[in-house]
Amino acid sequence: MTLNLPEIVVDGRGLEPPEPMERVLAALDVLQPGQRVRFLIHRQPYPLYDILRRYHYPYETIKGVDGGFEILISAP
Amino acid sequence: MNPAGLSLEQAPPFSVPLRFFLTAPWFLALAAALMFWEGPLIFASRWLPATLALTHLLVLGFMAQVMLGALLQILPVAVGVTIPYPRLTAALIHLPLTLGTLTLAGALLFSLPSGFAHAVGLLGLGFGVALLAFHIALWRAPVASGTVIALRCALGALLVTVALGLLLAGGLSWGWSLPVVELTNLHAVWGLAGWTALLLAGVAYQVVPMFHMTPPYPTGLTRSFAPLMTGVLAAGSAFILLDWTVAALVAGLALAMGLIAFAAGTLYLFTQRRRKISDPTLGYWRMSMGSLLAGAALWLLTQWIPALATAPQVEWLLGILLIFGFAIAVINGMLYKIAPFLAWFHLQAQLLGRAKIPHIKQLLPDTPVRRQMRVSLAALLLLLAAAVYPALFTYPAALALGATGVWLGVNLWSVWRTYRRILREGLAIAPAIQ
Repeated sequence: MTLNLPEIVVDGRGLEPPEPMERVLAALDVLQPGQRVRFLIHRQPYPLYDILRRYHYPYETIKGVDGGFEILISAP
Repeated sequence: MNPAGLSLEQAPPFSVPLRFFLTAPWFLALAAALMFWEGPLIFASRWLPATLALTHLLVLGFMAQVMLGALLQILPVAVGVTIPYPRLTAALIHLPLTLGTLTLAGALLFSLPSGFAHAVGLLGLGFGVALLAFHIALWRAPVASGTVIALRCALGALLVTVALGLLLAGGLSWGWSLPVVELTNLHAVWGLAGWTALLLAGVAYQVVPMFHMTPPYPTGLTRSFAPLMTGVLAAGSAFILLDWTVAALVAGLALAMGLIAFAAGTLYLFTQRRRKISDPTLGYWRMSMGSLLAGAALWLLTQWIPALATAPQVEWLLGILLIFGFAIAVINGMLYKIAPFLAWFHLQAQLLGRAKIPHIKQLLPDTPVRRQMRVSLAALLLLLAAAVYPALFTYPAALALGATGVWLGVNLWSVWRTYRRILREGLAIAPAIQ
């Protein structure tokens, strides 16, 4: 039943740190099992990866054509 | 807490960079105390023992201290490479650097040959560990971005600066016969126009667009600026040692123009900010880039008017503009971005979903930052005035320098205290981190 939940899109492009991370962490708080967060960001968010690994969120990074990145995060 | 998960982390523990950041400001206060102690006579020449001690309290005690500490943080976070054994590496850099700076300043001040020998050992160890760790990490960097290229060049320049410094200190300890004036000038130029300016450029490529919402530096420029500057520095140094005066002058002009272009380009980017919100750290950037422009322009002027080149006041003005105005100001400003950000990040990492993390501005409000910046600007102007009218301005300049250092130290300490309090309270609510 949870598989059809819509993706949560977080656009952190062009925001001053730490706002992008604040937004994506807020999205993780409401993330349901089976649901994903799609995080758009203009640079590699290395610090975010630390937090995702620490809390066992599986994630995948896709490099965009515009030099930005999309990080797809699933619930642990 | 999952130890296996922790070992995967890119970011080093907060204590790794913080120990450097909390130490550095007190060297500004120590430098101010030395100015008080020596009085106006300190401005008579750049070659006086007290002047050399003062310079090294600033460049090693404050600048190198923060720059090396920040690299331990920046390399993993911005470049994506890990430094092995971060706590141990930090301690092996921080302790010898701190003790070595104090020893060198003491040896210079009291002309102690045995002090120079100890300083060579301590600083050689601290910089040796830093250079080894950073070089290994940087050559393993997954992407050779403009920042990575600039950091490699900066670390190459640091190697030259340290080697020349150790050679000069060794000469003072063991009485070697060296061309001291030429080597000292090269030591200073590699340290300021190489290590400091190129490290700043590499960091600026990332932090100026990121924190100040400006367009990025042009990619072609970010990839070529540092290698070109390093090439000019190397060629210029060879010309000086070979005594090819005209070629050395041309290299000097190219170096000054490169620094002017970087400063002007950075100031231009600040006029292109997408969100023009007030940001007190911008003041530091403007002070720094303005000082770099003024310093490079003053140096160019000394080439037109030879009488200026030998005037001790001009050498002092150049030193103040480049060391305090350019480097210390921008480092001071960046500390105010880095320290609260790291505190906020480590709180997030440890308390995620367990306790409410305060907004970053609660870790360090704007008001004390803005006030300390005014004192810092006053210190710059008073130091410049003291170089020209030492009798009148030495003590006010020393007072302002001491005040800006102590205030920075107190502000950074308050970030650390707030971090500890929030972490303690958060862990009291939810003691276990999965």
